[in-house]
Parts: sequence; structure tokens; C-alpha cells
Amino acid sequence: MPISHSRQNFEQTVRAYSADLYRYAYWLCRDRHLSEDVVQESFARAWKAWSELRDLAQAKAWLFTIVRNECARSFSRNKPALDIEAVGEAELPALPSFESQLETAQLVSLLPETYREPLLLQVLGGFSCSEIAAMVGTTEGAVMTRLTRARQALRKQYEPAQSRRGTK
Amino acid sequence: MNCLEFHRAKLADPRRLPLEAQSHAAQCAACAAFANSVDEAERDVERALAAPVPEGLADRILLRVHGARPAWKVWALAASIVLGIGLGVAALLYPTPAGEHYAREAIEHVIAEPESFTTVHLADVPSLDELIRTSGGRLKAPLGNVRYVKLCPVEGGTGWHIVFETPEGLATLLVIPGQPLGTTQHASSAEWSALARPTRRGYYAVVTPSAQKTSHVDQLIRERIDWDA
Repeated sequence: MPISHSRQNFEQTVRAYSADLYRYAYWLCRDRHLSEDVVQESFARAWKAWSELRDLAQAKAWLFTIVRNECARSFSRNKPALDIEAVGEAELPALPSFESQLETAQLVSLLPETYREPLLLQVLGGFSCSEIAAMVGTTEGAVMTRLTRARQALRKQYEPAQSRRGTK
Repeated sequence: MNCLEFHRAKLADPRRLPLEAQSHAAQCAACAAFANSVDEAERDVERALAAPVPEGLADRILLRVHGARPAWKVWALAASIVLGIGLGVAALLYPTPAGEHYAREAIEHVIAEPESFTTVHLADVPSLDELIRTSGGRLKAPLGNVRYVKLCPVEGGTGWHIVFETPEGLATLLVIPGQPLGTTQHASSAEWSALARPTRRGYYAVVTPSAQKTSHVDQLIRERIDWDA
């Protein structure tokens, strides 16, 4: 039986994005088994609604959004997003000095969710600030602010760690 | 564009610098150096976020979404349903004692992170000293050669996963500062034995391959860490 065009597109999409989506899910929920469940369930949902996808170029952003929602569903953490204007520099996590020796992965995990999520979408998904804004339902300016603060927070820890390692 | 605007643009999206920002960096040595340092940190973040992806993930997704089930899979599904019902009945008849929940969580945590025994990861005592201090304790004497320290997601928040060497082999210490625990709990599985003991700020758990070793390591920890500091 010939495979339908839409099924072929779907299979290519699965092979193209499942790894990035898994990593995104992993960094949202920090559980390997749950991450795979989330990604599988997300693709199952995507396939059910595949005919509604008008432009294949939008599939990636659409899938990241489904994974994001699926993680939220898994955690029942549908709390309203933090208002970025209410989150100041002072509310960045107080990292004890030894944590500068921890690997970047752990520093990322210590970022507040409101900063970490746009960083994940940009680094793992390659999305622009305006695309991320559309995905998380905020303004491009707010995303730029979150990303700037996230990287500032990481740099504060990253630079001393690098100089201690002598790798700068 | 001035230097401040350049910094903001670079930190917001290092890979998509507007033309105006690129022109600025071409004329400003300080901003060019800043851009290089941001790019270097970004590569580090990319490496850090590249969590290993389970082998065969795409195939499993496709199988789940539109894979036909051959006959043996139908039988396997039926068998798994029967087994599931059986396990459910067994769980009702023989429930896991509530008094071992956190000790059992510790065992499951260790099983889920086997790399903690094969990876040497951030092992230095001054760090451990500070880690214990921020978790509400005081390290009175070195625990042993620490091989692995990692911040892990746990029930109720995050906790420190520490693996260190003892005369009886590797031992796991989980320090969970945010989760209150009423009394000491014990649990065991075929391969592991765990103990979870309350502290002033939460609890800690010890996991080793046997109850005897767990008891010895717990004694060592109580001798060397003051949890009421």
C-alpha cells in the first residue's frame, strides 16, 4: 500500500525534530522517562491534527508548543506565566559560590522557569525572539529581556568557573 | 547603535545580530571581544543542553502513532493487561508501607542515574562543605573521596546527589533540604538498601548495596556531618 503524502511528511518531521523535542521536554520536566512519554504523546496529538497544519514550515514551532503544553499537562502546572516586568535582577536565583564550579547544565537548571524556557526554545529550537514570543504568549520585548537576563545570570557563573579551570 | 544596545542585542539572540549591530562590532574592539565571549558561552550552553536522546525514539514514536500491531503484539498487549490487573490487585493486597516512601524514592533515584557510579563529577571537599552548609548542615570531617555531585530533581523540589568512596565501596548520599520527613525510613530492593533520615531542613538518604553498608555509611555521615548546625 503506498504511503500517503501527509504520512510521509509526518514521518520526516518525526525524524527531523524528535531529538530536539525530546531534549526540550527533558529540560522542562527533567525526567527521561516522562520526557519520552511527553514527546510520544505530543506526536500522537500532532498526527491527529496533522490535516490542520497548513504550512509544513510551521511544524517545528507547532510541535514545540504541543510539547510545552503536554509537559504542563503532565505536571499540572498550568499556573499563569510570571510577569517579566515583576521579575527583577534581584530575583535571579542566589547561587552559592561553589555552584560556579558546576557544569553549565546545572546552572541552566537553576534559572527561574521564566528565563529558562525562552533560552531552551532559542538554543534547542533555534527560534527567534518574535517566534518565542508567539509560542509562549508574550511580547518580543519581554522575551528579549528574559533571554538577556538568562545569559547575564549564566555569564556571572560561567566566567569565574572558566578562569578557575584556566580554559579562558 | 551604542555599546549598551549592542550588548542587549547580542545577549538576546547571539546568532541573529541585526546589521546595525554587526557594523558596530566591526568598529568597536570591546564589543567584538564581548561578542566572542558570548559566542563561547553559547557553545557551552549548547553542549550542556544536548541531553542524550534514547536510541530508536523516532521509530517508537512512529510505531505508536501508526504502527500496525502484529498478532504477537496483540497477545503481548493482552498479557500486559492481565499482568497489570494482577499487579494492581497485589498492590491493593500488599501496599507499599507509607513509612518507606522516601527511602524507596532514593533507591529509584539511584537506579535511574547509573552514570553516578561511572562518572567522576565535581569532586572536591570545599564544595561539599559549602553544599552541606547551604543544606543546613556542617561538615565536621571529610566524608571520603567524593566522586559525583549533581543537583537533581526530586519530589518536592531539588536535591543534591552525591557519590563518595567508603572502605566498603561507593555510597550514595542524597541531600534533600526542602522536603520534611517525620521519622527515619528504610527500604530495600533486590540490589539496594536505603535509609532516609530527617534533618532540621529536610532529610538525607543513604543508598548502598546492603543494609549493613547503609547502616555503616549512615553512622559515618552522622559522625562527620552536624545536621543541626
